[in-house]
Amino acid sequence: MAIMALRADASKYFLGYVWWVLEPLLYVGVFFVVFNVILKSRTEDFLVFLMCGKLAFIWFSKSVFQASTSIVAAKGLIGKINAPKTLFPLALIQEGLYRQAAVFSLLFVVLYGYGYAPSASWIWLVPLLLVNYLMIVACSFLGACLVCMVRDFSLVISLGMTFLLFTSGIFWDVNDLADPQMTQLVLTVNPVAFILDCYRQILMYQTAPDALHLALLGAVFAALTAVMAVVMHRGSQFLALKALSS
Amino acid sequence: MNGNDRTVLLKLDEVSLSYRSKRTSFEHGQHRVLNRVSLELYEGETLGIIGRNGVGKTTMLQLMAGILAPTEGRVWQMPGKSSSLLTLGLGFKPDISGRDNALLAAMLQGSTQQQAKSYLEDIKAFAELGDSFEEPVKTYSAGMRARLGFTTALMTHVDILLVDEVLSVGDAQFRAKAESAMKERIGGEQTVVFVSHMDGQIENLCDRAILLERGAVAAEGDTARVLKAYRETLKR
Repeated sequence: MAIMALRADASKYFLGYVWWVLEPLLYVGVFFVVFNVILKSRTEDFLVFLMCGKLAFIWFSKSVFQASTSIVAAKGLIGKINAPKTLFPLALIQEGLYRQAAVFSLLFVVLYGYGYAPSASWIWLVPLLLVNYLMIVACSFLGACLVCMVRDFSLVISLGMTFLLFTSGIFWDVNDLADPQMTQLVLTVNPVAFILDCYRQILMYQTAPDALHLALLGAVFAALTAVMAVVMHRGSQFLALKALSS
Repeated sequence: MNGNDRTVLLKLDEVSLSYRSKRTSFEHGQHRVLNRVSLELYEGETLGIIGRNGVGKTTMLQLMAGILAPTEGRVWQMPGKSSSLLTLGLGFKPDISGRDNALLAAMLQGSTQQQAKSYLEDIKAFAELGDSFEEPVKTYSAGMRARLGFTTALMTHVDILLVDEVLSVGDAQFRAKAESAMKERIGGEQTVVFVSHMDGQIENLCDRAILLERGAVAAEGDTARVLKAYRETLKR
């Protein structure tokens, strides 16, 4: 389903597959102009720093936002087939995963170009990507259910993404904050900030991330995913009625 | 009706369905779609459900297919039997080809990818879409979409076929073909629930009929008698 959707998506636009990579890059470009050229950020290798944060963030925000409206958008299909409701967000997440593979490949090329060669610490990318993926799935399931119950949540989620964009240390470094307690607070409260910081620790500074914190996040999101999957299975008909009747 | 010696495949027991819609009016917006509907479906029969637009025919099929759950009452289906709702334009994705849409639809109705792939050539032949089968569905005319939808649904095999107004599609030639294909399925061991607001089709195809009016069963039994009652309601 995801592969078909991607093929369709690519054929819709003149530039086709190029947009997968181009769109996130344009975002990076805009941020780069604002924070490096205009505001003169002093972070070293700002472009790489920005890409590590922004590209991973787009994966999260775009997937969750699209997946959250997926059940409501599939109204036509839901009225005709008793399909498992997790299918709709999962298809969109899968689509995002393929896109992200292309985007991350590009990131690696840029990293290499800037002299950040792969090292042993890169092995940490495996658990990190897994936790990041689980976070996306858990949030998407939750979002999809909420939007299905009350449409207004789609606005809340969109606003929440903008809030996260500013609070997750995408164009500023969490570790550079004047108050180290604030750094700790941001990393504890905001899992997105922690995950983005992990990418930088691994890719730019060749250090291992806080394994316990990462494992804990993984466990929490895995549990949330499982709970939501059960809820969506049990409430399948209820979600269908909500999607069809509002 | 001598249904006592036949196996009951599906049973609705005092089923009601209501939902709350948005508060657009001063009333509380409680919609009651079905009101204490009971019926039994026997193996191998063709049951017609007739009624005017908006009396809850489609909702009843959605309950039978397990897409919706009743607010009150109980829907029982014999364990291990599959049922599928045959409707027009199975939520087509406009940007992907007819072939991919058919594949997707067949898989969503419970076929494995292997099975679904094996149906594709039959679907292509029956729907008479030719090379358009490989084109995105957005380029199709309404009639072509209807053909693809009908064919895809027809080719997938289930125990209980729930048919929702699908025979009013396509041009005269395709409609005749669709109706005879439908008759062939019905003539066999297939159990069918057939919904329509057109009395001619019910008369041609069904052994037994039910008249729905404002969410409740108004008449039940012999097709001719139920259709007579239906024609009465039209005059009102």
